[in-house]
Amino acid sequence: MPKPSAHSAAGQFIRDYGMIFVLLLLVALFSVLTLAEQHPTGAEAGRQVADRIVDAAGKSAGVIIVTRDTAEDRAFSAAIAARLADLGPTVHATVNGSPADARRAIVAVLARGESIDAIAANDATSRWTVYGQFDGLSDALVVPRSHTWPNFLKMSNVLGVANQTAIYAIIAIGMTMVIITAGIDLSVGSLVALSSVAGALVIRDLGGGTEAGAGMMLAGLFGGIALCALAGAFSGAMVTAFRIPAFIVTLAMMLMASGLAFRLSKGASIPQLPESFFWIGGGVTLGLPNPVWLMIVLYVLAHLLMTRMTFGRYVYAIGGNAEAARLSGVPVKRVLLAVYTISGALAGLGGIVLASQLQAGDPKFGLMYELEVIAAVVVGGTSLLGGSGKILGTLIGAFIIAVIKNGMNLTNVDPFNQKIVLGAVLLGAVLIDTLKRRRA
Amino acid sequence: MAGARSASSTSYPMKRLFHTILATAALGLAACNDNGSGGAGSAGEDAAGTGAAEPKGVIGFSALTLTNPFFKVIADSMEAEAARHGYGLILVSGERDVKRQADQVDDFIVKGVAAIVLNPCDSKSIGPAIKKANKAGIPVFTNDLAYDGGDAEVVCHVATDNLQGGRLAGDAMIKLLGGTGGKVAILHFPQAESCQLRVKGFTEQVESFSRAGIGGRIDIVAILDGGGVRDEGYKAAKDIIEAHPDLAAIFAINDPSALGAHAALEAAGKADQVRIIAFDGQKIGKEAILEGKIVCDPVQFPDRIGKTTIEMILKHFNGEEVPAEVLIPSKLYYREDALQDPELKEAP
Repeated sequence: MPKPSAHSAAGQFIRDYGMIFVLLLLVALFSVLTLAEQHPTGAEAGRQVADRIVDAAGKSAGVIIVTRDTAEDRAFSAAIAARLADLGPTVHATVNGSPADARRAIVAVLARGESIDAIAANDATSRWTVYGQFDGLSDALVVPRSHTWPNFLKMSNVLGVANQTAIYAIIAIGMTMVIITAGIDLSVGSLVALSSVAGALVIRDLGGGTEAGAGMMLAGLFGGIALCALAGAFSGAMVTAFRIPAFIVTLAMMLMASGLAFRLSKGASIPQLPESFFWIGGGVTLGLPNPVWLMIVLYVLAHLLMTRMTFGRYVYAIGGNAEAARLSGVPVKRVLLAVYTISGALAGLGGIVLASQLQAGDPKFGLMYELEVIAAVVVGGTSLLGGSGKILGTLIGAFIIAVIKNGMNLTNVDPFNQKIVLGAVLLGAVLIDTLKRRRA
Repeated sequence: MAGARSASSTSYPMKRLFHTILATAALGLAACNDNGSGGAGSAGEDAAGTGAAEPKGVIGFSALTLTNPFFKVIADSMEAEAARHGYGLILVSGERDVKRQADQVDDFIVKGVAAIVLNPCDSKSIGPAIKKANKAGIPVFTNDLAYDGGDAEVVCHVATDNLQGGRLAGDAMIKLLGGTGGKVAILHFPQAESCQLRVKGFTEQVESFSRAGIGGRIDIVAILDGGGVRDEGYKAAKDIIEAHPDLAAIFAINDPSALGAHAALEAAGKADQVRIIAFDGQKIGKEAILEGKIVCDPVQFPDRIGKTTIEMILKHFNGEEVPAEVLIPSKLYYREDALQDPELKEAP
């Protein structure tokens, strides 16, 4: 391959990863559409409220503080109390709880004959209607100043989107490889369910359920993944040895795996898992949710595998022209077997992460995941005809779909219309792929 | 193939990019328009359910599924009642996928909704999502389907009183067969807790009547799984009449399985001999009652379930004590009721 000039290198980048601009555009679009007033809570907001109370009601004011029972709200109320203690006003009562708690506290304060000159609240607690029951109390509310910021770009939302996408994105790695070989794997959704059930069963029945130790947890984890890898290998064997179309083989596997998951679990979810198991899907390391770390690591590995190693070149070669690949010495059968096994194993991993996130194994998990995942791969620029596609493109595709879904939820798009939009996005992506081929 | 790829000109990618941007922008605009018109259209008249502008706050509702009209009625009545009190409603649907529902709860938390209402897609696995909402200080309510896990906190659950409804069905059966007695079969759907309660109420009522000996004996000779759907109800009923040719009546736990059973009876020429009492009061059920295919239904009131849920949320914010569970009683619906039902009037 000749060394590309700077100009054509940029062109190549756009050709391979042009969808990233679509993603950025969507981010910008939803940032504008979800601009909303943000209502701070926490210590900083608390100090501000205390200052405003002194400004409005003076240094001898009687104050009650009303917040909910959350970590942020407790920091907020503690900061108010500390600041007010310095400035002079008396705090008659502090509520960290429900509107009913607030009512009881107000009744008690009024019964003691103390006056309530100000109620320190945050936006959420100021919207409670409980104060309206008492004369003049609604006017005594003091809340932190709000500011404008897109809901979409809130840290919690960005991390949430990444976390929600991680499982689809992880499964999509294997699907990308399968599709690049001009195959398809419809069984991944059922394998997610099967792996969650198998993993949970190992932990419950062999490891002692909620009391299970780390060893049994790992056994459950690898048991689930291994079972799905085996299922993937079986599909791969059917495709290579008997030349049955992948569509049919994996459709059959989809039914069998789902049936097996229901059989093993007797149709019920299996929640008897130890608390520590939830760390995989629910924990946070260095500020990022664990599934996101897992996704990043796997994508780096898969990218290297597909771009820097012989295996990756074989995968592309098979998708381009399997017969030509075979004639030029590519071990087609072994590579295909490996690709389907990887796809199965990653679906199994997805099932384990999902079971950890939702704290149960369940045969109903993974419903329609194959379509979600195929959509991510196709939107990411991989052609269903095989031979072309990029692993990182799939990551972008997964995020495009996730951002559209999240953005539509945040802008209150009707759920029926959401389906129509997602269908149109998928169709648009395939259309682009078709046009690209016709031009090339 | 690889050769073909590198042969494409560099001007092409720019064009492709331009096309995609155009397409995406169009989609984005379509989405915004849908939001404005679709929301108002489905709400009926006054609920312009867009989030931030609501004075008192927004309530997020994730339904089990919107393909069953029952849940759409719940959602519509919630939206209307919320709008009457100055709240907006955001409606999404889990479509029986608990992960999707959990993601929707995440979105609700980001949006900072005042309260969350759920029909849990899985009575246990929804727990972590409810816990997240608890941690964010957002009160969670459920209706129709309950959360049945450990430590997550649900303020209040609103549902039909299925036990009472089952007893009503039992009373109706006694009224139907009390004079002569006869054999009765039940088309069950044992997976659903609500159906277990219906069958329990029905059985209790019928058995205590038979024990009292004040009329004919009513014997429950078979309890089969009718799946709650038409085709399985058909098959189960067919097997029942093979086994009990002298069957007098069937109690089906919902309308679709009752209609399946009726089709089986018709096919066997026993539609006049075996009478059916069902449950639900869906439109198809009411129509069947009007046509005489079903004797009567204890009807559920999804509109009242929705309205009561909102009332409980308002009570909660008002600082009043909210009961952990509110059960809406059901009512028997006979042909006389169907004749006067405006819902069935348009039918030719």
